[in-house]
Amino acid sequence: MNTDPGVVRDLFAGHYFLFAFLTSLGAIQIAVSNAGTRGLWLTPYAITTRWFGIVLIVSAIVIFFMQPLWIDGPWAAGSVEADSLTRDWGKASWDELAGARNVNDIHGGLDGVKQTGWFSLAAVAAFVVSAIVGTLTIEFLSRAQRNSSGDQDSEMTDGLAGLTDRSYLSIQPESWRNFRADIGELWRNGVSEADSWNLIKSILGRSSK
Amino acid sequence: MTSIDADIVIWLNGLSGNIAAFDNLMRIAASDYMMPLVFSLSMLGLWFSGNNPAQRIRYQLTTLMGISALSIANIVVWLFNIIIERPRPFVEHGDQLTLLFYPPTDPSFPANPVAVGFAVATAAWTINRKFGLWLSAAAALFGFSRMYAGVFYPTDIIGGAVVGIAIYVFTTYLRRFLEPLITGFVRLIRGLSAA
Repeated sequence: MNTDPGVVRDLFAGHYFLFAFLTSLGAIQIAVSNAGTRGLWLTPYAITTRWFGIVLIVSAIVIFFMQPLWIDGPWAAGSVEADSLTRDWGKASWDELAGARNVNDIHGGLDGVKQTGWFSLAAVAAFVVSAIVGTLTIEFLSRAQRNSSGDQDSEMTDGLAGLTDRSYLSIQPESWRNFRADIGELWRNGVSEADSWNLIKSILGRSSK
Repeated sequence: MTSIDADIVIWLNGLSGNIAAFDNLMRIAASDYMMPLVFSLSMLGLWFSGNNPAQRIRYQLTTLMGISALSIANIVVWLFNIIIERPRPFVEHGDQLTLLFYPPTDPSFPANPVAVGFAVATAAWTINRKFGLWLSAAAALFGFSRMYAGVFYPTDIIGGAVVGIAIYVFTTYLRRFLEPLITGFVRLIRGLSAA
């Protein structure tokens, strides 16, 4: 049975995005729990955040590689080593499960460029979810804890360092201020320092050194 | 050399079919989706790691270097593929091999997945030796599984590893020329509170 590669690619893209999103969320949670970046934690405690991250990654791998058992796709019947175009459309059996996802990109699998695109999107989505849930965690769930421990005025820092004990939302004013200062400074000094061949100046029509 | 190369692949691939669980493990390790995701996640995790600002900026710069090396390695492998059009083992020795993977259509040398894996592993190694060794083991397993599946020769794997490591070294050299911009880029992302 010949299946339209476009149909296969759409199916793969959806599955891969979910896979990349859940694993990215898990990797971020493990990293931020170790780094103490509370503003991105999905739970109020480091240990539960870390374990939640591990569970997310393992679950995502299991779901992605077992999906062909219950979802129709280009992985039914035929041997897994067969040209992926000649496989039947349907559900995979347990025997063929390990190779079910091995579909050539010319037959609808995702090539490196598409995987990069979907992974980047999934990683950004995972960061956004971490920031939103982390804000809720800090603002609501830890309120009682913060009240009992007194004033929490920490050093006014931006970026991930600022998320150590503050929410993503609360550090935005400093982050934005520094962002504007940085972009100006980068344009004035950084670009000209790095542009040792005066390439940018030439493009912009200014005189070279 | 070609004969030894082919003999190793034929011998290794000949082991398949004896233990179904091992064959299945190799099919998953050889997948286009498993190990590349491991490499991507390791870089994503590294970006958010670091217990103090100095350590964090070091990790983030290394992550950028790793991602750049990964991209350049892809281009270099593509150029190699144009110059050296080495056929895949299953094309030359199809009658002696049991293919455990779909038949790729691009040339064999050097192994692209291994080059990418070793570029990332070398980046990780500069930060933490143990972390780097784990990723090197993952890249080596990726290469081994593809060899076991009958789609790469051993010299493709070695070539891929050399390309990956060399490209990372080259990328760190290249960084000197772009340094103010790279650090500036990290500072801009910090403005979005993501660095």
